Amino acid sequence: MAEYWGINVEDIFNSMKDRFRPEGATDVTASFGYDIREEGKWKVSVFHGTLAAVEKIDNLSGCVATMVTDGETFVGVNTGTVDATNAFMGGKVKVEGDMGAFGRTGRMFRKYVPPRKEMSTRDYLVDMFGTVESRFKKDAARDLDFIITIEVSGDAGGVWSVIIKNQSCTVVNDRVDNPTVTLEVADKDWVDLTLGKTDAQTLLAAGRGSVRGDIAIAMKWGEIFEKYVDPMGGGEPEQELLVLKKTISVGQKFSTGPIMGKFLNGLKAKKILANKCPKCGRMQLPAREICADCRVRVTDFVEVGPKGQVRYMEYVYYASPDPLTGETRETPYGMVNILLDGCTGNDTFAHLIRRDQIDLIKNGRDDTPGTRVRPVWNEKRVGSIFDIQHFEIDE
Amino acid sequence: MAHRKKNRNVGIIGIGQTKHSSHREDVNQPEMIHEAVSAALTDANLTMKDIDCIVHGNMELFEMVHQPDLWHTLGTGAYGKECIRITTGGTVGMTIACASDNLVASGLYDIVMAVGFEKLQEGHTTGGITNMADPLWFRNLQTGALTGSKAYELISEFGEERAKRASMMYRIIMDKHAGLNQYAHRSFGLEFEQLDDLIKSSPKLVGDLKLIEMCSQSDGACAVIFACEKKTKELSRHPVWIRDHITVHKEEVFQIFGYHKDYPVLQSHRFAADQLYKRNNIDKPLEYFDVFEMYDPASWWAVDWLRDFFQLRGDEHIMLVEEKEIMIDGKMPINPSGGVIGSNPIGATALIRVAEAALQIRGDAGKHQIPKPVKHALASGFGGTMWTVLMMLEKELNWQEADNGGILGNQR
Repeated sequence: MAEYWGINVEDIFNSMKDRFRPEGATDVTASFGYDIREEGKWKVSVFHGTLAAVEKIDNLSGCVATMVTDGETFVGVNTGTVDATNAFMGGKVKVEGDMGAFGRTGRMFRKYVPPRKEMSTRDYLVDMFGTVESRFKKDAARDLDFIITIEVSGDAGGVWSVIIKNQSCTVVNDRVDNPTVTLEVADKDWVDLTLGKTDAQTLLAAGRGSVRGDIAIAMKWGEIFEKYVDPMGGGEPEQELLVLKKTISVGQKFSTGPIMGKFLNGLKAKKILANKCPKCGRMQLPAREICADCRVRVTDFVEVGPKGQVRYMEYVYYASPDPLTGETRETPYGMVNILLDGCTGNDTFAHLIRRDQIDLIKNGRDDTPGTRVRPVWNEKRVGSIFDIQHFEIDE
Repeated sequence: MAHRKKNRNVGIIGIGQTKHSSHREDVNQPEMIHEAVSAALTDANLTMKDIDCIVHGNMELFEMVHQPDLWHTLGTGAYGKECIRITTGGTVGMTIACASDNLVASGLYDIVMAVGFEKLQEGHTTGGITNMADPLWFRNLQTGALTGSKAYELISEFGEERAKRASMMYRIIMDKHAGLNQYAHRSFGLEFEQLDDLIKSSPKLVGDLKLIEMCSQSDGACAVIFACEKKTKELSRHPVWIRDHITVHKEEVFQIFGYHKDYPVLQSHRFAADQLYKRNNIDKPLEYFDVFEMYDPASWWAVDWLRDFFQLRGDEHIMLVEEKEIMIDGKMPINPSGGVIGSNPIGATALIRVAEAALQIRGDAGKHQIPKPVKHALASGFGGTMWTVLMMLEKELNWQEADNGGILGNQR
């Protein structure tokens, strides 16, 4: 099984039991599938808020949703190395089935943190010299031809020679003939030097280490090799950034004014009152003080509808939180633009359609009528948009 | 026309912007703005002493900060100077550019700096936009700036497959452009081979508007320095001139969904373009302009709007996209910066259109510089219930003669 950043796909699944957060799985009873390309399929089952099973399995039937991706992306997303949103948007992660349900898995598990293995000085030396060739910057080594031999003393030590010739770099774990320059240094000091915890001047000034041969060549090290990246992450832990978290909730009241007031009063009496432009004749719904087309005051009211035909329905899968209540509307919902009887052209009236009927609505166009709908009035009406609960199909 | 009364010419002499990102928790609002302001001053080789007035703008409710311009004085450098705050919704970045142009042209100030910003992660964007709608009616129904109506219209007119492919093609092209722009927020590395796959796999938001097709929510700021002709010529080796701009809007209510051929809807973009080109004697905008930085909140809108902005007919706009003529090396490069779909710190977004168009004229856009000379650029802003702002930028200060020639020509 392939490893990504030192972690394999099975590490993620095997640790799920330890990482499970019951508080993130309240009321969940479902199985989730994971189809990881060239790695296998896993089924994770949650029963009444507890983690029932994590199984490697061939058949993912019965899963409410299945994540399809490759091993590298899967490990990356679970460890935070790969941005989950970007992977999803860019098509590297796909979710088949109920997207909303799958979204809950994000809250069910703590992030995977790889067990921290201590690296010994010897591990570091092997890794540091093992990555020299891959850190070699070809373009920075034009016209350079030399050999650096590094004699590392101490228990973890050894001898390495780095040969630069024709813009290529070879490392051997041995002495070679006629090195251009030879460095002597203690094992721990070489590790600290490479990690940037100390520098060559300090070491040499303290008499810890020596240089034989062309010292100018030794100074070129930093130019022709990429900086060594500590596999342990190293350095100071990142500082926590302080942010102030606030939820604002304020009471508001909005005056209606006489025109909108008359329109809303009409709803109380189960009447939909459009105000009609005296110049162009268009019906304004909801009512407005002036006609923006003709720039004249509009004071005449005409009762229209209450039935009509749908001209366009917004099929809404994603609802913004209601800014007045902070609550998110149930999705999907349909916002309909209805041409009420007595209205023409673009004099449409916006409201909601009964949620269980959204898949039955046909939009009208030109001389093809849309689905006929009627308002469902509330028993108690107060002069607001929701004196009409919603519209429903008029059969 | 009013623009004929322009008192004096105005040039852009400094441009600065931040890297746009969803992760700017490392700075607060004034600090983030300061990055863009410093960059613009450096670009213009000026200090705050040289700036006469600051025009500050962003969305009104997004971060829920009342009079942010006061707090931001630390970052804008407005201490002891004239500072004017403007907030006009999505168009605000363009409106502060127009206002700066007007303030300098009027003679009130010689050098004005426009500063647009947003930290969208500090509020809730879609909730904020919903909050702007009429509280008595539409606020209870709509979901921010998300709508599937453009998708519905394009699918009705051009068929499902062609329309969906055009929208996703536009989206992938913007992703490729954003990949060239070091300041862009999002670039996923999308490939044309993924087109059909993305149409199937990207989750739907409203109707056929999919998640991948909608713009991002970014943190970022932009600052642009405007100067009078005399100062511009003294201070700038490569000025960009503001030729003209126009703002068009109608009403707060969407009365556009009748879908009856006898009741056509006058689109504000088309109206703005018609008026602007007419008074500037431009017959063929697609031939005239070398680049267009368009406020493209979603790929469906973008594809459709190309027809309005360039006065095209039939499916000419779809073909521009299908034939990849809107790419950086195409006939009419659209948003070499990656556009709004790539980065959207809303209060800065429209100003970034001006900034990017100006960078193209200067030849300073870096990796996303168009590989041909850019003399004439167009930039647009969009917001609210169909507000349009259009601005024309020029490399040479020579259109007055051209205008006069045109007028005399007509008389002859």
